[in-house]
Amino acid sequence: MKELATVIRLTAAERKGILLSLLFGFTAAAAAVALFAASGYLVSKAALVPPLYTLTFTIAFLKFISIARAGSRYAERYYSHLATFNMLSGMRVYFFRKLEPLAPGIFQRHRSGDLLSRIVGDVEHLQFFFLRVFYPPLVMLLVFFSTIFFTLFFSFYIALLLLAGLIVTGFVIPAFFAWRERRLKRGVREKRGRLATETAELLFGFRDLKMNRKLEDQKKQLTAQSEQYIGEQEKETGQRQFSEAVNTAAGLWFTWSVLAAGAYFASIGDFNGLFLAMLVMISLTVFENSAPMASFPSHYEGSRVAAGRLEEVLDDTEKVPDPEKGSALKEGPFSVRFASVSYTYPGETRPALKNVSLTIPEGTKTAIVGPSGSGKSTVMQLLLKSHLPEAGEIRLGGAPVTSLTQEEIWEKTNTVLQENHFFYGTVEENLRIAGENASEKDLKTVLIDAGLESLNLTDRIIEKGANLSGGEKQRLAIARAMLKDAPVWVLDEPSSSLDAVTEAEVFEALAERADGDTLILISHRLKGLEKMDQIIVMDAGTAVEAGTYEELMERKGYFYRMKKIEKDVMM
Amino acid sequence: MMKELKRLAFTRKRDMRLLYMLAFLYGGLIIGQAWLIVTIVDGVFLQDRTFQWAVPMLAGLLVVFTLRTAVFHLTNRTGLKMASSVKQQFREKLVNRFTGNSMQAASQGQSGEKVSVLMDGVDEIDAFYSHYIPQLAITYVVPLMILAAIFIINPYSGLILLVTAPFIPFCMILIGKMTQKKQDEQVEKLTAFSGRFLDSLQGLATLKLFGQAEKQEQVIEDASLNFRDATMNVLKVAFLSALMLEFISMLSVALIAVEVGLRLVIYQSISFFTAFMVLILAPEFFNLLKNLGTAFHSGRGSAAAAKRIEEELNRETKEVSWGQAEMTTGGKSPEIALKNVSFSYGGDRFALEDVSIHIPSGANVAIAGPSGSGKTTLLHIAAGLLAPDGGTVSVNGRDRREMTEDSWFRHTGYLSQHPYLFSGTVAENIALGCDNNVNRGQIRAAAEKAGLGPVAASLENGYDTQVGEGGRGLSGGEKQRVALARIFLQRPSVLLFDEPTVGLDLETEQILQASLKELEKESTVITVAHRLHTIQEADTILLMKDGRIAAGGSHRELLETSADYRRMVHAHHGGENE
Repeated sequence: MKELATVIRLTAAERKGILLSLLFGFTAAAAAVALFAASGYLVSKAALVPPLYTLTFTIAFLKFISIARAGSRYAERYYSHLATFNMLSGMRVYFFRKLEPLAPGIFQRHRSGDLLSRIVGDVEHLQFFFLRVFYPPLVMLLVFFSTIFFTLFFSFYIALLLLAGLIVTGFVIPAFFAWRERRLKRGVREKRGRLATETAELLFGFRDLKMNRKLEDQKKQLTAQSEQYIGEQEKETGQRQFSEAVNTAAGLWFTWSVLAAGAYFASIGDFNGLFLAMLVMISLTVFENSAPMASFPSHYEGSRVAAGRLEEVLDDTEKVPDPEKGSALKEGPFSVRFASVSYTYPGETRPALKNVSLTIPEGTKTAIVGPSGSGKSTVMQLLLKSHLPEAGEIRLGGAPVTSLTQEEIWEKTNTVLQENHFFYGTVEENLRIAGENASEKDLKTVLIDAGLESLNLTDRIIEKGANLSGGEKQRLAIARAMLKDAPVWVLDEPSSSLDAVTEAEVFEALAERADGDTLILISHRLKGLEKMDQIIVMDAGTAVEAGTYEELMERKGYFYRMKKIEKDVMM
Repeated sequence: MMKELKRLAFTRKRDMRLLYMLAFLYGGLIIGQAWLIVTIVDGVFLQDRTFQWAVPMLAGLLVVFTLRTAVFHLTNRTGLKMASSVKQQFREKLVNRFTGNSMQAASQGQSGEKVSVLMDGVDEIDAFYSHYIPQLAITYVVPLMILAAIFIINPYSGLILLVTAPFIPFCMILIGKMTQKKQDEQVEKLTAFSGRFLDSLQGLATLKLFGQAEKQEQVIEDASLNFRDATMNVLKVAFLSALMLEFISMLSVALIAVEVGLRLVIYQSISFFTAFMVLILAPEFFNLLKNLGTAFHSGRGSAAAAKRIEEELNRETKEVSWGQAEMTTGGKSPEIALKNVSFSYGGDRFALEDVSIHIPSGANVAIAGPSGSGKTTLLHIAAGLLAPDGGTVSVNGRDRREMTEDSWFRHTGYLSQHPYLFSGTVAENIALGCDNNVNRGQIRAAAEKAGLGPVAASLENGYDTQVGEGGRGLSGGEKQRVALARIFLQRPSVLLFDEPTVGLDLETEQILQASLKELEKESTVITVAHRLHTIQEADTILLMKDGRIAAGGSHRELLETSADYRRMVHAHHGGENE
């Protein structure tokens, strides 16, 4: 129940939809019962050859109910589905909004195929919550109670039988199957999640699988997983069909008992046989309303599990706390200061940064170099406030990061990540992320500056930029950063896939644009750093050296050694 | 498409025969049920029979009620089994498609969409077989039986049914035709939406950095609401068709009620028994038709999904073809030749033209050139991952298409810029390319050679540490070392490298370079690289430009003959204080 709190809240927001669905649902169901009751009464009455006008009246009543029933059914369906889709839309946005603050961290824990299956599949699944879980029981109760009330005028015992029928078909049988259902549902969802993940893995890892001749294995695994998934589905549907059959049978048995009781009471003269046909017809019809209860447990369980899984995704990541209002990061380029900063990624035992102190004055150009895994990228992550340090303090433009919001930091930085995401769409759409109102000329200029003359603004980009080469992706990311034109540049190995010629050209254009800005370049290459105001050398999570190119070369320390290696290799 | 699915159902003769048999039984039980109810009511109400008289009849009715549910349940079960088997068939076809012989099948289009076709597309087929087909069998049989029964006891009512009933299929077809296009549109929207959502989620970090995440919320909401409207439009028509059916059947039942009522009262030409029996049977008749209407709509959804699957299966790609001959090396690394190879991704974005390369046994060839000049595509063709549009690839003078796929890949190692690590332990990832069970010692040895030793030592569970999708949790250099360890374990005689040391720092690179050098000694090597120090020692360097080979030769030769090459080298040394 707890899992469904959000779903119930979002559903309850559709107050009008709920009320209208209930109203029309009840009218439609009650009209059906009335219709059959009236026709049963009609033939019985006719058999006794009554005055014609009573018949005419019943017939007119019949017609009226027919129309009312058809109309209400239509309205019920319309409003209930509308409410459902509104709820779903609310759910998606709610989920995205909740997920957004967790963005970088969450992908370390969840595989994207799994996320897709969770969010799309589970949200989709919640459409049954309103349609099959929330309001059918309410409609059922309303219809049964009014029918039982009506029956009371003719026979107390038959009314009692209907009440018993309501309890058995509406509650006892569903509860029994709900109890059995609990174990099954998880199976289906899990198998589904696994199949989706494996499929995504197959698609993303195709080349490595193929080259390592593991494609056949993966194929077999997928086939087997699909079989298991279908098996679980079949079990689940079979269970539901069975519970539906049992429920229908129980309803029919109660109708039988109504007929038997009616026949008995009529034969001993306690009950007017004229109404027997009517009550049998009523009973046959009213139990149609408890039929949806047969699938109630599976839908309830399904909704509960789906909602639970959605919450789970949100629960297991901690959010970086932001102050209510940023303390206004200074205008223009800002400085960066790390004082004894340490950080370990969640779920890892190796600290990524150990007691790092560094100073980057505003308006200067700094390179951070060091072997892979030395913590260069972590410095960038912390400076962007994607994570908070465990110990030590980070100040941007003099203000502690804890007093700044993530947004204001990001707003003032042009960031190029090691792996940049490109969206399905055109080159222009992907650039516009960084500048909604940029003119077409600006867009073309940044493309040229980034060395991407070969691309047109209207060229298609597919998901994840998969139709771009590594170098094109990096240049497009640089173009995007250029377009944003913020006063602080944070570049994480922005040109590692570029050939030397292109790299030199792009850097030249970049230097021109970044004139007077604070620029932080994380690099694995040591050449071209002579013009930097400062080079910070990192190794195994610590900052081992800092200084200008000349200073570091003179000191003959870590940087000097790395430089020597580079030269050796160059020979 | 619906016809196609139906045809598939009717090829399952045993299931269909069973469904028809059950339908006959079901019809008989419905009529028997009506007869028993009417007889009992008639007896007690008009004939003043005793309760004892009714007891056997009541017992019979109890049996009929129970059997009726049982038969219906069996019908559903049969449909369910059929659905399961058809779904598995479709999914196997799709998996075969994705694991085909060309990289294109797996990489074309959005992968979110592909996942969605395989999952939801196939799942949507379900309703057609588990819902529509069983209902169809019942509707083919039972209404006719009911109609016959009514004709026998009261031909006038039968006539009313006969006249009004055809309106139902007529309405169904009419409305079905109206919805079909909308339904297809809606399915397309659903597909696009599923891809877009994954894309948004994957790009969340990027969106946030550019302050666009909130706007994306709006995009998702808009997409959601558009999706709602699209669905509601389809549903509205479906509801409308239900409304029409309801009107027709209600009208017909009311007509019959009037007819039997009048004949009962005014003409007294029929008995209460007949009238009541007709009144019970007529709604059953229409209920069955209505149920078919509902089932038909879910069947439609299946048809649209089937069309999506069909499209995915029919998408054009050129498969890499393989033969029967085992590739043998004779202990020597093979000689490889590409002759007049051309390739295009379609559209006007990119093409390889007339590329010919000859790589002697054990040679080390580097492919250089500006990014986007077709280096990686060429390597994919050499690797047997893409089929060239024209030209041939031969190994030891023999067309590679004559060899078995397995033997080629067994002798080939590929190291890319972004190796993919699968969910599993580090050790499992290293052992990926090995046929038989390799022991821990071999894995460890390969890992040590790839420079993975210190990395493993720093991990919590060493080689048994779990790495996630795309190998998250390991740095780029560490992933690269895992991929390298795979190759050390496999020791292939053909090595294909796609800038494997790109993005790595010098120290890691040096480790990798040393490892690569050891591997290269025993293999024929093709390296895609733009780093001079990686390719300088290559026996031959091929300089690519716009999908063609612009120049070829050793480092020294190229320095003399190629201006492009000189420019590249100059830039590499650019800014150095030497």
